[in-house]
Amino acid sequence: MMDEKINSYQFLVLVIFFTIGTSILIIPSDLASQAKQDAWLGAIVGTGIGLLIIWLYCTIAHWFPHLTFVQINEKILGKWIGKTVSVLFVFMAFFYSAALMYQSGSFLKTHALPNTPMAALNILLAVIVVMGVRLGLETLARSAEILILVFLVLFIFLVVFVSPEIKIVNIQPIFEAGTKTILRSSLFYVGVSSLNSIVLLMIFPASLNKSKQGKTSFMMGNLIGGIIIIILTFLCISVIGADDTARQVYPGFELVKRINIGEFIQRIEGIMAALWVITLYFKTTLYFYASVSGLAQIINMKDYGPLTLPLGMIAVFLSLLIYPNIIYQQQWDATTGFSYTLTIGLFLPIILTIVYAFRKKLRKKKRDS
Amino acid sequence: MLNSLGILLIASVIVWIEVPPLLKKKQKKEIIVFSILLAIGIGMSMTMGFGISIPNPAEFLSFLLKPFSEGLTKYIN
Repeated sequence: MMDEKINSYQFLVLVIFFTIGTSILIIPSDLASQAKQDAWLGAIVGTGIGLLIIWLYCTIAHWFPHLTFVQINEKILGKWIGKTVSVLFVFMAFFYSAALMYQSGSFLKTHALPNTPMAALNILLAVIVVMGVRLGLETLARSAEILILVFLVLFIFLVVFVSPEIKIVNIQPIFEAGTKTILRSSLFYVGVSSLNSIVLLMIFPASLNKSKQGKTSFMMGNLIGGIIIIILTFLCISVIGADDTARQVYPGFELVKRINIGEFIQRIEGIMAALWVITLYFKTTLYFYASVSGLAQIINMKDYGPLTLPLGMIAVFLSLLIYPNIIYQQQWDATTGFSYTLTIGLFLPIILTIVYAFRKKLRKKKRDS
Repeated sequence: MLNSLGILLIASVIVWIEVPPLLKKKQKKEIIVFSILLAIGIGMSMTMGFGISIPNPAEFLSFLLKPFSEGLTKYIN
């Protein structure tokens, strides 16, 4: 199970899904609450910063093309410190997979199935997540290849049929918020979409059959995902208006309700919810895959299979426990969640880079003398 | 009561799926890790099944990262 290989196109698709993931649900409202009608500029800035971060990850991956992130930690920081850091990393991935189960559960509960207990919805998601991880990365990547078509068709459908409702008045005056506010508003988006992609380092160098092309597909995937988020944010602002977007919990869903084709085809948000369900599923699965395979590598197991079912059980439990309500979730994500992401996603790679450069110099000195 | 029976049922299905192949291959470490994780899972789910409230790990993380996140919010604003 460990030596499965995917090709660079499949990796591209997985990166796209990971980047869009939850951002498609929550990011427009977060951006709009700070930058008002300039939220779409914030999304552009965020995508730019995100690409820089992905470049940093690619550099780290480039040094050890056959190791996963957990093994790289151990190689650079030594056995014990590396393992401790890896435990933090694995816990982050696991915690976020539970958090995403909560988000998908609460989304479905609010908008589609109000009388179903959330435990049932979370268990349903957890069953397919565990199934995907047990079947392995290859199967997952192939299903992503099929579902990206469904996703893109639905997304193009959404863009085409919602665009008649665009009112340019809504995005004016452009650049009212100022550079500082736009930069600040984009930070959370960078955290959700790009800094969390550090879990993809569990797949990126080691499980790709050609790791050189993987670098381009990592960057491209992040860029395409970012473009989709930019388009969606722009549509939200220009159709619903900045204030309403900021007030919604799921502004994208509100956007889909506005689709109206010739006064005949209306209220198709039930079909469009497939967009959210597909991306949420893949993001949850990638988090879960990273946590399970990371844990297996920390304790030197050959196969992560036996860990999936018990960890899935704990994840369902955690998803019901960690957030008592959606206000708590938003507050937690913006403060603690963001700093945890920043610690693992930005400071840890920078420390790794410094230590690696230092060690290289030391080794060179030793060889010279 | 019914909840806990359901949890035990799920746990026994998990054991039934996973343990025989592990026993056949005699992977000791895998069996130990598997049982520890499953025990944690059953124990935690039982508390929820019986309606006992246990501390929230998210709160614990907030407590750990509080100095950092507070400084960060101050800096950003």
